[in-house]
Amino acid sequence: MAEALFKIAVSAMSGRRNRLKIFPALTLAVFLLPILVGLLFTWAPAFGYLSAAGSNRFSLEPFATLLHHPSLPGALRSTIISGIGASLMSLGLALWIAATLYGSRLWSTIELSLAPLLSLPHAAFAIGFSFLIAPSGWLIRSVSPFPSGFTYPPDWTTNGDPWAISLTLTMLFKETPFLLLMIFSGLSRLDVRRTIWVGRSLGYHRLRIWTRLIIPQLYPMLRLPLLAVLAYSLSVVDLAYIIGPSLPPTLAVLIDRWFHDSDISSRFGGAAGALLLLLLTLAGIGSALALEYLISKIASRKILDGRRKSPFELLVGSGSFYALILLGVNVLSLTALMLWSVAHSWRFPYFFPARFSLSNWSAALRHLLEPVSVSALAAFLSCLLAIILVVGCFENEQNLARSRIDSISQRSLWIIYLPLLIPQISFLFGIQVLLIIFNLEGSWGSLIWIHLVFVLPYVFLTLANTYRSYDQRYSYVGTTLGARPVRSFFRVKLIMLTKPILFSMAVGFGVSIAQYLPTLYVGAGRFATITTETVSLASGSDRRVMAVYALSQFLLALTGFLTAIVLPAIMFRNRREMQN
Amino acid sequence: MSLVLDSIKISLGTVQLFKPLSLTAPPGSIVTIMGPSGCGKSTLLALICGMLDPGFSFSGTITLNGRPLNGIEMEHRKVGILFQDDLLFPHLDVFGNMAFGLPARMSRRQKRERVNNSLAAAGLEGFGARDIATLSGGQKARVSLLRALLAEPEAILLDEPFSKLDENLRGSIKQFVFDQIGLMNIPALMVTHDRSDSADGTYIELK
Repeated sequence: MAEALFKIAVSAMSGRRNRLKIFPALTLAVFLLPILVGLLFTWAPAFGYLSAAGSNRFSLEPFATLLHHPSLPGALRSTIISGIGASLMSLGLALWIAATLYGSRLWSTIELSLAPLLSLPHAAFAIGFSFLIAPSGWLIRSVSPFPSGFTYPPDWTTNGDPWAISLTLTMLFKETPFLLLMIFSGLSRLDVRRTIWVGRSLGYHRLRIWTRLIIPQLYPMLRLPLLAVLAYSLSVVDLAYIIGPSLPPTLAVLIDRWFHDSDISSRFGGAAGALLLLLLTLAGIGSALALEYLISKIASRKILDGRRKSPFELLVGSGSFYALILLGVNVLSLTALMLWSVAHSWRFPYFFPARFSLSNWSAALRHLLEPVSVSALAAFLSCLLAIILVVGCFENEQNLARSRIDSISQRSLWIIYLPLLIPQISFLFGIQVLLIIFNLEGSWGSLIWIHLVFVLPYVFLTLANTYRSYDQRYSYVGTTLGARPVRSFFRVKLIMLTKPILFSMAVGFGVSIAQYLPTLYVGAGRFATITTETVSLASGSDRRVMAVYALSQFLLALTGFLTAIVLPAIMFRNRREMQN
Repeated sequence: MSLVLDSIKISLGTVQLFKPLSLTAPPGSIVTIMGPSGCGKSTLLALICGMLDPGFSFSGTITLNGRPLNGIEMEHRKVGILFQDDLLFPHLDVFGNMAFGLPARMSRRQKRERVNNSLAAAGLEGFGARDIATLSGGQKARVSLLRALLAEPEAILLDEPFSKLDENLRGSIKQFVFDQIGLMNIPALMVTHDRSDSADGTYIELK
């Protein structure tokens, strides 16, 4: 009976099948096309082809220029230290916190604080963090003038240090919450509590249970997020401008400077650098996969040796220490931003501002209006397009084959992650070249499209699980009650999924707000977003203005999340089952 | 030589889950604890294992073969556990799952021999290299029990072990579990809400 009903319902809905088929193709085109074309048009100048510079013959000159550039060795050093260092340390820290704290009260606190931590944009965090660690920052103020004896800020280079340590730490504190989020979502698919129970009843220490039972099951779900973190850390530009080394800067910043140099011949070196950074990232990804293979080989030889005790048992207590530092740095950075934004005068070595005032805000408000509205509009429109494409893809998938979803999604995950695995700067220049050719540079359409490329993966990833686990029978019931399938989709399914849909849009909104490079390269200087303004102010000296801009960036992203929480709460205030 | 619970009380906040419980499970016998779902059966097993969630408090003493268990880390209690779900580790094959419980002092060859003997005795000869996902429900249940027993626990707890098995399998698996526990001659404690699960030994209603 149920079977028959199901078949009738499916055949009733099959009228939509053909129309839905367009969604996966469209989605792929939307984000693969710009990347592929962008890559090609970046590679062309790397080999001497750039008609805008009047150069139309093959040449290896750009690479020679790049390789002989005096800044290159230092740039490579900073890039590798901060890129590899930050991603490996984030993974280690996130896993160590999980293994030592799982099930504790602090673990639940971390879970609750992840959403606010993640809604703090990278640039805003980096500015707040620099307010902590700068020679005149909060940390040194807290020990000055007593006991340090400093009445003037010491002559140290704590942010923007030549070894890129401050940049590495910034990314470590920013990427660890992201990997923790991925760990939380991965663990929710495993029966962790009872795996630990069985493991301990077999005599194993909890650290051994993590290395032998849980991480082998968890890691496949962390692989792509980790590789995305690696690619991001190797190629980040906005953070490197704010808190990275300057002479020489990281490779990504070096490339960005060449692309923006007033001397057009610098574009060739930039393009060669972009290709080098792409190769470096691919090598990083390859090494990460090789390392994973090696570790899993060694681990699988040891997994059955029966050793119950772990040599690191005594260090278990350090998990809470690290977690508190992670939470503390984020909270303090945000607090420092808030204090600076309302500080009237705050001289060294005072721990608190001497006078507060709202004049920083009132003075900036006029200038904030435009970048905030441009950011909000671009973010909203790209999210809206993203959610339409993503829902269309899921609907098509649902109609195609309910049983094959798992195998499809595993492979498609790599494609979805593609924009996050390729350095932005290695293809944005090519897109810019192309847009200039078609005279589309600086148009709203191209701005929203390029944001869409980076918003789509996040919307897809945050919505996938909930959307796929929707009980399709609700819609069939709607259809059998006489609603047309389309009506039943809009009136039953979409309404029931309001909360996860809005949440994934909020994530996408935050991602769009935080975009720096794409706006610059596609905007032709015509679009000032809150992020481009914040980053360009970060090199200035007025901390109060920086704080106001960074906080505005944060508040804008936060507005998205609050909307996603408040709106469903109001819509379904009398529907208890819709509250969770 | 037995598992003894002496006036065990568990509370969540100020609410006491059940009346004080005392029982003795002698070696080779299975004490069944019955009660509707939500009465605290699984929490009792968590307490005996040392996996009680923070938030719960308890009083009373637990002794296993004369050794008090209160305050002992779970991994040193030597109490095995079997759930309604097999909880076989999906990244290991059948041999890997079973050898995981064997002590470190055994050589790889001894382990191989031990697991193979155990599989053969359970009618699963040659299953060592099988992927967990290819086993039937009944086979998984048997491997899961064998894994728990190979670790040589001094007592074993069964948390509704048969409730997810097909009706036609239940009888034979039940017999298999009870036989194996009899052979090991260790005390066993089973919680269930299904009266037909109960073994021949003592049976206690949890109120």
